Formats: sequence, C-alpha cells, structure tokens
Amino acid sequence: MNHTVAETIIETGQGGVGPRSAEAPAGAPRPAARWTRLVVVAGAVLAVLLLGAALGMSLQRGLGAAAQPEGGAVDVGFAQDMSVHHRQAVLMAGLARDRSADPAIRSIAFDIETSQLEQVGRMQGWLSLWNAAPVPTGRYMTWMTDPAMPGMTHGSGPGTAGVATMPGMASPADLERLRASGGTQFDVLFLQLMLRHHQGGVPMATYTAQHAETAQVRNLAEKIVISQGAESEYLAQLITQRGAQPLPPPS
Amino acid sequence: MPSGKSSKAVRNARSVVTSTKPKPWGTVAAVLAVLVFAGGIFYYLFTRYEDRRAYTPTADNRDPSTQIEGVVTQDYGEANRGHVGPDKRVAYDHSPPFGGPHDATWAACNGEVYETAVRNENMVHALEHGAVWITYNPDNVTGPALQSLRDRVQGQNHLMLSPYPGLDSPISLQSWGHQLKLTDPADKRIDQFIQSLRLNQYTYPEIGASCDALTGVFDPAMPPPFVAEPPGPDAVPMNFAGGLDLEPGDGTTPPPGG
Repeated sequence: MNHTVAETIIETGQGGVGPRSAEAPAGAPRPAARWTRLVVVAGAVLAVLLLGAALGMSLQRGLGAAAQPEGGAVDVGFAQDMSVHHRQAVLMAGLARDRSADPAIRSIAFDIETSQLEQVGRMQGWLSLWNAAPVPTGRYMTWMTDPAMPGMTHGSGPGTAGVATMPGMASPADLERLRASGGTQFDVLFLQLMLRHHQGGVPMATYTAQHAETAQVRNLAEKIVISQGAESEYLAQLITQRGAQPLPPPS
Repeated sequence: MPSGKSSKAVRNARSVVTSTKPKPWGTVAAVLAVLVFAGGIFYYLFTRYEDRRAYTPTADNRDPSTQIEGVVTQDYGEANRGHVGPDKRVAYDHSPPFGGPHDATWAACNGEVYETAVRNENMVHALEHGAVWITYNPDNVTGPALQSLRDRVQGQNHLMLSPYPGLDSPISLQSWGHQLKLTDPADKRIDQFIQSLRLNQYTYPEIGASCDALTGVFDPAMPPPFVAEPPGPDAVPMNFAGGLDLEPGDGTTPPPGG
C-alpha cells in the first residue's frame, strides 16, 4: 500500500517543477540515505525495547517471588496455636468417621477432618516460609495482647501470660471417655466435644482476623469464624435431634 | 490522510526520484521483518502473562471474575448455609443454584463428570468447598461440544460437570455466589471464570474443604438424582441457617431479611 501511495506521489512530483531538489546542498548525505539510516536505527531501537519488555515480563514473576514476607507476632502465634487446636479436631473427627454408624455424623466428621487438616497444612507452610517454629514452645495464646478484644474480657483473657490449655480443647479424660463409648452415646459425646471445640477456637480466630499483618492469614481466620459458626449451628441441631444438650460453652 | 504526513511523503518521494541510488525497499522490508518478529514475541508473552495475572486472585484483586462480562453474583452471607437432610429440598433462588442451604453431604467434585443430572442440594455443598460446577443443557450440547467440556473437567481438581435438564442457556458455570451463562463451549470466559474462582480463598466459604466423597455416604457412580419439579411449600427457605430455631422443612415462616 505504501508503495502505491509513493508511486502516485512520484507521478505528481514529476508533473511539477522541481525547486526542492535544488535545496539539497552538495556534499551533504543524500536525503534518501538519511531516511534509510533513520528507519534502520528507529527499527532497531524499537525491536530492542520490545524484546527487553518481553524479557522483563517473563523474569518479573521470579524476581517477585524472591521478596519473602515475614509473619508478624500474631500471624506466627495464630498459625502455631491454631495448628495444635485444629489437630485435636482432626483426631476426634477421624474417630467419628471410623466409628459412627450414622451417615450424618460420618459426613460432618469427614468434612471437619479434611478441611482442618488442609488448613493445618496451610499454616505449617506459612510458618516454614517465615522461618518460624511449627509448634509453639510453652504456653498458648501469648500473642493475644490486646485486652479490648471480644473473647478476652472474661477471666480467660490470656494476655502475655498465655494459657496452658486453649479454650474448647478436650481433656485427656474426655478423649478417654470418647474412645470407650459406642453407639448413640459415642455420637452424642463426639458432637458435644466438637461443638465445644469449635466454640473455643472462635476468640483466637476473631482476634487474628483483626490483628494479623498478612492478608491471607486474616482471610483464613475470618473464614474459620464464619465456617465454624455455621458448623456449630448444625452440630447443635444434631445434638438436640438426639435428645441431648450441648456442653456448657468454654469459658 | 493528514496533510503534514503527505507533504513529507512528497518530499521523500521527490528525493527518491532525484536520487540515482536504488530505492531502499530491501532495507525497509528487513527492518519491518525484525519489528514484526520482536512484536510477535512481545505480544505472545504479554497476552499469556496478562491473562494469568489478570485472572489470578490476589490479596489486592480478590475477585478477578468482576472483569468477566456476564457474571451474575449473589452474596449468600455468613449465615444462610444450613445443612439439610437427604429427603429435603431447598427453595433455591437461581437455576442452576450457586449458593444457600445444602445437603449435609457434598457431591464428589475432583474432576467428576456426571452422566446424569444430580440433586442440587449436594452440588451446592460442593460449591461451598471451592469447586466450579459446569452444567449444560443435554438437548443443546452434544457430540464434540459435550466432549470438549468433558475434556476440560476430567482429571482436574475441584471441577465437576453434569447435565441440567431445562437449562435456559446451553452452558452455565457455577461457583459459590457466582454464575455465568454462555452458549459456546470454546468461549474463553470459561477458562477465565475457572481461573478466577476455583479454590479462590477469598470467595468460597470453607477454606481447605475436600472434594472427595466419603465411601458409603456419597457414590459418584450413583448420585442422588436431580428433581425437575419445582420445590413445594414445604421446601427449606433460602435463609435457613441450621440450628435449633428452625427445623429444616417444617414450614415455619422464615424471619424477614436474612
């Protein structure tokens, strides 16, 4: 297309007088040569820029991944303590999945077991990237230092002193009773222990949803509050359907 | 054509005419070839990179599906996720449904290709677990079109495919709180939807939940069948949250709002 346009122009150019050709001073590079050089240089510069941009784009992801975020005290504390808390739920749910004859119980148990184990995997992965210990040393919940938070106002507010046992955790005696029971008695005890366990995890998750530094940690904590809240409603429903009462909520 | 450009062209053309050198079209062609090559590489990498970046959920871009044309969203909130028994039906607000109360048991959703239509209440539970559910109208989508959907799902985590009799578009995609109806199985929005929403930690409620079926509770080879008739007045309302206040399907008038 350029070609035809140029040819048309050449024709009209030939028709007119050529005063412009006289403008080119003798000895200077001919306009045609200058034009060619300009095209070559501009083309080369453009090509280099395009290839450089393409290279930069493919490298960017690798470079971006090199900057490793650090977890703050709340992020690390939550990931460590909630790993421990979740693992007991996984243990109890695994028992119920194996032992219960009731499809409703087996189903909710399998749901809790698989989700919480996956979440433990997430939290352990973060701790590993943050170069933090996979489990806490000493007492739990020492990272919940803001006393203005819900769940911390009543006596159990751990503060910097922490607690020896997290709220909602089943005691060794509870677990012994669960293992020793069978039939409907097992089903009800499992539901009661799991409901109390879910309720006990809420203060830690609520605190983290508001105080963690990492967006992904805050998001997980928030989803735990919401999901376990919905699950707790269902567990309570299953308990009453079996003519029993929930245990007193953890204090 | 702008006049400035044409006068420049005239000047150049005149120079060419007055010059005794051959026209430099060879050089121009070579430069153009290099440019086209470099531009091609740039374009290829740019589109691949852009697609991957634009539709990957991040802390700053939590729901990339908002950029996809035609996606319908519905916030199912925190509470409206009660579990119902296998004999109950939920009065869903969309067809196919994409959120709300559901059966206590989820449908298997790891690359599951269902040949028959499956009960909504089980499929919605799978959406709560982060799956994307592809449905098609079995009257419209057959042969190679259906095969392309099967190929898309088979062997993929957190994807499932099932026919949906009476579907009002040939294809419909569901994720928790999101739906996209389409006609073409090659529509590139299918990949964008899946990339944006499958296992998106910011949009599905139950992070880490499984897509595996529990033996003896849900059999993917014999799933509970889809019911075509609309649910009756005894259906579980959309704001059923479980718990003690409202028994599933007892006909109690639901509280307003929800």
